[in-house]
Amino acid sequence: MPFATILLSILRAIKFSLQDVVRNFWLSIVTIIILVLALFSVNTLLTMRVITSSAIDSIKEKVDINLYLKNESTEAEIMALKAEVSNLNQVKTVTYVSKQEALESFKDKHKNDPDVLEALRQLNKNPLTPTLVIKPKQVGNYDDLINNINRVESNIIESRNFDNPKAMLDKINGIAVKVNEAGMFVSLIFILITILVVYNSIRVAIYTHQREIKIMRLVGASNWFIRAPYIFSSLIYTLFGLILAIIVFYPFLTILQPYLETFFSGYSFNIISYFRTGFWRLFMLEFLAAGAINVFASWIAVRKYSRV
Amino acid sequence: MIRFVNVTKIYQPDIKALNKINLHIKPGEFVSVVGQSGTGKTTMIKSLIGEEKIDEGKIIVGDWDISDIKKNEIPLLRRQIGVIFQDFKLLPKKTLYENVAFALQVCGQTPKKIRSVVPQVLKIVGLESKTDRYPHEVSGGEQQRAAIARSLVHRPKILLADEPTGNLDSINAEEIIEMLLRINKFGTTVVLVTHNREIVNRLKRRVITIENGSIVSDQAVGKYLI
Repeated sequence: MPFATILLSILRAIKFSLQDVVRNFWLSIVTIIILVLALFSVNTLLTMRVITSSAIDSIKEKVDINLYLKNESTEAEIMALKAEVSNLNQVKTVTYVSKQEALESFKDKHKNDPDVLEALRQLNKNPLTPTLVIKPKQVGNYDDLINNINRVESNIIESRNFDNPKAMLDKINGIAVKVNEAGMFVSLIFILITILVVYNSIRVAIYTHQREIKIMRLVGASNWFIRAPYIFSSLIYTLFGLILAIIVFYPFLTILQPYLETFFSGYSFNIISYFRTGFWRLFMLEFLAAGAINVFASWIAVRKYSRV
Repeated sequence: MIRFVNVTKIYQPDIKALNKINLHIKPGEFVSVVGQSGTGKTTMIKSLIGEEKIDEGKIIVGDWDISDIKKNEIPLLRRQIGVIFQDFKLLPKKTLYENVAFALQVCGQTPKKIRSVVPQVLKIVGLESKTDRYPHEVSGGEQQRAAIARSLVHRPKILLADEPTGNLDSINAEEIIEMLLRINKFGTTVVLVTHNREIVNRLKRRVITIENGSIVSDQAVGKYLI
């Protein structure tokens, strides 16, 4: 078959499928709404994944162990201790914060708290001690790291702050897993409903065109040409469903963003930019996935009901 | 042109719609197939267009053995055989022009070819002045003529007419038969399946009579026997 004929047949099949979508207007609307719900739930699940993984990252970022050193420690002693701690397997970095740096950081942190600043001023001396800030390589190895640091013998260590964030991370991980499971479940239900609705829409479309299909067969239309418009219809539903889902989802993200900013204070996270950055990739992936599911549903309906 | 060799078609459980049919229709013939309802006439037509698969024997159209025709070959067969029915099978929401053009559109013909062929066939059947009418706006005879026009768009060598006058009054029926004779005159083989005794007797052409799925009579210039 020449290319021009194939192209012409494809264009005619698309035209017939657009006519079908318009003629069965309300059925098309219901199908598209179900698709929007399915895509909305999938995108909400994706958002939850992004939020939980960012929350875990932000906590990991904040996880560090402070070794408070005695005021009288000499630079040489501190550097020797720093080198010893740096050599531990579980340690990623060790940063030395001098008395003065600690004071400046403290002042900056409490710049909006006049009572604290006033108390500091009245103290008339720097109450802070030099510190070694240790970041672990992996949060999972936190217990081993603490054990190793406890084994480090040094008489310049004033105190060791070992607040274990692992419990908190485990809690967040637990919540993330549960949210994912619930989201997957809801998404799966919507995907199943979508398959059924698309299948049914195509079935009804075929029933309303039974006479047309019979005549098409009679005059020698190929099976491909008879079936193609219904397959195209399912892709048209997917495209409209996806565009509408984006239109509904964007304001939802805009509403969510201020709450996330408060939650992630001190950690740069913007869900809108996350979706904007990967917009086309996400759009294409969702179109391909939803399109494949809908084509599958309509293909089954077409195979079953187009034998007129 | 058409050859049936020992053709048997059984509908489950064991109804023999066609029972060892042997038949040869030459190119350019006008053949009437008569018989009571349920004797297998329509099954014959359906087997010829690949709508029914036969259980035994061979059906040859031209040089093509269609007994075991593949699904993807059926459209090609149907583009070579024109078919008309008692109920016209026109699309009510399309004009007569659109109904005829539809047959070419769905087979991938170019708009240019459609614009050239459709007016020609509508002229052949005498509907050139009613191309913009919808089926419900014309008479039964005109609807059947539009169906004939549609069946001619692929310039078929064979035209199968399954009870084409069944829904028409005698004047319109006569017109349709005249048209089929004219089409036959141009060289198209016509197979007319009918119940209409008067028409068959007046045609004075070959008549095949079927009873219980078997050919009981095949007369070169025949009459309606039953």
